[in-house]
Amino acid sequence: MKSGSEKKKRLASWKENFADVGAQLFNYLFILLASLLIGAIVILLSGKDPIAAYVALFDGAFGSGLKFADTLDRTTIMILAGIAGSIAFRTNIINLGLEGQLYIGAFAAAWVGFTFHGLPSYVHIPLCILAGVLGGALWTVPVIYLKLSWNIPVLVPTLMMNYIAIRFTEYLIAFPFRDPGAPMAGSPRLAQSARLPRLIQGSTINIGFILAILIAIIAFWFLFKTKTGYEMRMVGLNKDFAAAAGIPVNRSYILALTLSGGTIGLGGAMMIMGFFGRFLGGFSPGYGWDGFMIAIIAQNHPIGVLPAALFYGGLANGAMAMQSATGVPQAVVAMVKGTLVLSVTVKVFIEGMRKRLQQWVI
Amino acid sequence: MPEALSVKSITKTFPNVVANDNVSLFVKKGTIRAIVGENGAGKTTLMNILYGLYQPDSGQIFIKGEEVKLSNPRDAIARGVGMVHQHFKLVPSYTLAQNIALGVEPKKGIFVNQDRLNQSVQAIAQKYGFEINEKEVTLDVSVGEQQRAEILKALYRGVDILILDEPTAVLTDMETKELFVMLRNLVEQGITILFISHKLREVLEISDDISVMRNGKLIGTVNRDETDECQLAEMMVGRETLGGRMRKGAEIGDCILHVEGLSVLDNRDLSAVKDVDLELFAGEILGGAGVDGNGQEEFVEAILGLRPIVSGKIRIDGQEIQDLTTREIREAGVAYIPSDRYRSGVAVDAVVWENMISGEYYSPPLSKGMSLVLPEIQDLSKKLIDSFQVMTPGPNAKTGTLSGGNIQRVIAGRELGLEKAKVVIASQPTRGIDIAGAEAIRKMLINYANRGAAVFLISADLDEVLALSDRIVVFYEGKVFDAGYYDEGIRQRVGKLMTSGEDCIDEIR
Repeated sequence: MKSGSEKKKRLASWKENFADVGAQLFNYLFILLASLLIGAIVILLSGKDPIAAYVALFDGAFGSGLKFADTLDRTTIMILAGIAGSIAFRTNIINLGLEGQLYIGAFAAAWVGFTFHGLPSYVHIPLCILAGVLGGALWTVPVIYLKLSWNIPVLVPTLMMNYIAIRFTEYLIAFPFRDPGAPMAGSPRLAQSARLPRLIQGSTINIGFILAILIAIIAFWFLFKTKTGYEMRMVGLNKDFAAAAGIPVNRSYILALTLSGGTIGLGGAMMIMGFFGRFLGGFSPGYGWDGFMIAIIAQNHPIGVLPAALFYGGLANGAMAMQSATGVPQAVVAMVKGTLVLSVTVKVFIEGMRKRLQQWVI
Repeated sequence: MPEALSVKSITKTFPNVVANDNVSLFVKKGTIRAIVGENGAGKTTLMNILYGLYQPDSGQIFIKGEEVKLSNPRDAIARGVGMVHQHFKLVPSYTLAQNIALGVEPKKGIFVNQDRLNQSVQAIAQKYGFEINEKEVTLDVSVGEQQRAEILKALYRGVDILILDEPTAVLTDMETKELFVMLRNLVEQGITILFISHKLREVLEISDDISVMRNGKLIGTVNRDETDECQLAEMMVGRETLGGRMRKGAEIGDCILHVEGLSVLDNRDLSAVKDVDLELFAGEILGGAGVDGNGQEEFVEAILGLRPIVSGKIRIDGQEIQDLTTREIREAGVAYIPSDRYRSGVAVDAVVWENMISGEYYSPPLSKGMSLVLPEIQDLSKKLIDSFQVMTPGPNAKTGTLSGGNIQRVIAGRELGLEKAKVVIASQPTRGIDIAGAEAIRKMLINYANRGAAVFLISADLDEVLALSDRIVVFYEGKVFDAGYYDEGIRQRVGKLMTSGEDCIDEIR
């Protein structure tokens, strides 16, 4: 009898949760349509046909199995970047250095890939991945030092480290590790044993995509089901509360930055080992910044990152097709992305305000 | 002498509280009037009414002989009444001059005329004998100078009645002396000053007349030359009969918490706790009385390992803890109910269970290896919610949706529910919560002491301290004075120590 009522209660709370998720999804759908509508108005104003443009965009992203596979390949880096942003945000660390950590991780993986030859794949690939993760993580060490010893907010140092990383890797491929045979400034090619196995013939999609989804699930488990994740979230929500409870605040900050850097470093490794096959200067059009936005859209939830990353991957892949088919510039896509992020931010902000207002009224 | 300001029969009630009860007051032009009283006596409410922030339920306000209705601070300023709040309202990144003239800047077209702005501010400062570097950025200057800017901000708007809400609370001794010189200057130029304080020594030094408030009533007004600290303290604390005593006989055991020569700095690196010795025994409730801001917070934070100490030793059961981490100190058996529950008691955006396990999550049965055992956590949270009667839909509710009293029950459940603590440090545990909630928290503390733990109850609410404590110490200017065990004379002794520290101590004994 008692367990029956317990079951009923649980069912009710499930139903509530579903209603909640449903309302959230509806919200997002609305925001998405509004963003596309604003994009359409701009396209219309520039004298082009918005419907044709969006059809071309959609077709380019999802129009065939292979196109869809390529979109999923783009999604890999978007997922990892979004997870990297979310982990830091959850600890209330604004890691503006994802882009730099991406470059360093990518180069570290590339170096292991082109320096060592004759290793079997099952050794070489993990080694490259490890190098990418360590590269991204270690690039945050100066920021951690500044934060812990001088109490400098990470915002500025992480941002500055981006420029150092991008220029430093440019130097590395221009001089010490230059491959004269490369079409652009780039490193030597990775050994074949360091390349990620592709999943489908005709598309660049590789096992990196599966790894990225695994990472998202692990990140979810880590943040919500482990002691360390609990500590990081509590520090992020109220560090004074955490300190008074005896939760190690500084350790949480260190972990947030290194795990965030390591995750995006892994993303860099995936791009080099899966897509490019060598390190190319300026290879990222801003994946680190996309990660930042994806985390915002997903409200720092690792599972929410998956659809947001797929959307970003689709836009990235479809934009090119749209431009070549209809002449509508890719910049329109950037605008739709921007509107979307802005709308989500405003929505979160309004919800926060409403809650605060309710508290005031009560 | 002509009257600057008077009020007749002002009454102001808030839900459950009569903040001002039929208060009448008459202030002469060109004098300094101090309003003294304990926390919650109604001083600030009265001043907020005079500044137009609150409207009284009944009663009249006269400014310069004319009856006025003040519906907002702009009305008050137009009538010549300005107020400097305890917490400054300055834009940190602006210069002092920009802050002083904020909103009434001299204009050139649509732009602010910076030169005229600086000149006009300097002119006002000179007129009243204020030293100020008006071009300095506010966040770079001392608190004393920020306060000068706040006062000038009022004077810049042509105010001649100035209300200062505890102006010395944030100042060093040196800055206080400087402030008093400036206030004297102002009075000589015909400005009238109302000054809220609970520091009786300062009040006697600076004011002409002193009005004492208690429980919303104006007890009386005395001339500075015809009174002394001990009379004022008596007026503030009163001779109430000791009603509502909740504590009955205690079995005192061994010394559990032993503090020796503890010195601590505050956030501004000023000495906040000065060479304090304290002993806390098993089974007793030690009351820590004192006006807020006399070192209580810093003392508690030092014990918890949240604030570095300058010197001294802290022992629990003989074990030195002053160099341990907060977690190690808590594992040594310290429970802590912080004074600001929203700042350091809970994370309001976390759910209830997340706030309930913060002291236990890392050990079995709540965790296993690196994972949390969520079913165990849910069970424990439900148990604590039941036994501490937290009104919440369940462990998964957002903590911020709970009332203050229920949030305090969440904290009490976490800190006291597992019955592990040897020392309970409860800082303002019932501040701002409903009566039933306060009563419940007090009962929990008593139960805890009866079980043999040592309870240190720090509260600015004297009645609460008197109702619960076996023994009382008083925080005054960073020092701790022992008022002895509970008896008929304790209210008087505590009251005097609270307002004047060691000055009265010989008299009391």
